[in-house]
Amino acid sequence: MTLISDHAFRIFLSATTAGVGGLWIIHELVLIARLRGADRRDPQVRDQWFGYAVGILIGVIGIVGTLRFNGVL
Amino acid sequence: MVSTTAGSASSSSSSSSPNASNASNPSGAPAAAAPRRVVSPFNPANAVTASRFLTLPFLWWAVDRGYHQYATLFILICALFDKLDGFVARVFDCKSVFGEMFDAIADGVCFGFGLIVVAAYGWAPLVPVICIVGLGVINTVMRFVYVARAGRTVNYKSYAMERIVAFTAYQIGFATGGMEVRFFFWSFVPIMIAIVLHDAKRMLIDPIPPAGAKS
Repeated sequence: MTLISDHAFRIFLSATTAGVGGLWIIHELVLIARLRGADRRDPQVRDQWFGYAVGILIGVIGIVGTLRFNGVL
Repeated sequence: MVSTTAGSASSSSSSSSPNASNASNPSGAPAAAAPRRVVSPFNPANAVTASRFLTLPFLWWAVDRGYHQYATLFILICALFDKLDGFVARVFDCKSVFGEMFDAIADGVCFGFGLIVVAAYGWAPLVPVICIVGLGVINTVMRFVYVARAGRTVNYKSYAMERIVAFTAYQIGFATGGMEVRFFFWSFVPIMIAIVLHDAKRMLIDPIPPAGAKS
């Protein structure tokens, strides 16, 4: 029992994952840019840097996974 | 049981009228302790949060029958409702401490259930799922220790953990969609370990900010 064809489902998964991954990277880069000039010795600021870096990594994993899914990598 | 707005952890001011704020302050000076508006736990935002549980039986049914697309649809609905409840809380001005807690509990129940179901039916590798659930439990225990160290109700805001929790919903979606499952699940584990180690240092070793400090 399916909702859409397998091909359309594959496209939906790829577009959603790569799209969200790309937007996630841009979002985190904007947040990191806003932290410029902040005191890096402040533990709160370091937490934010770490969190945003993790966000970028997750976005990259999403895009790499999509490329693997489609046989590009 | 009632909760108050503006992040108050106490509900002891519930006897005050919602419209009583600044009513008896003819001098125009700011009130010293303005009563906070009482928010019932039976509000639209919490209804949206609770409705996420309704997707779980359907998710289980779809996985049991092998309907990948339906399973993906139900986890997608569950994840979208996770975003929707915050929006509803802002629109209806019904944010509360109870709502935040309820949302966190719903996250744990829904995503934990989803991970276990996809692993139990062989749609996701078992070892990474055990690692993810185990690390989640360790993180929860550390949060209790953090509260005990602080001696007050306090939440450690982990920017990294917020992101990995959001990514967990996608992991279930990758499993139901059959999309590079092994790659996504195995790449998730080292990130989760790094975050738990980072948060362990912050919660168990580093000094705790005083009450009222930005967290």
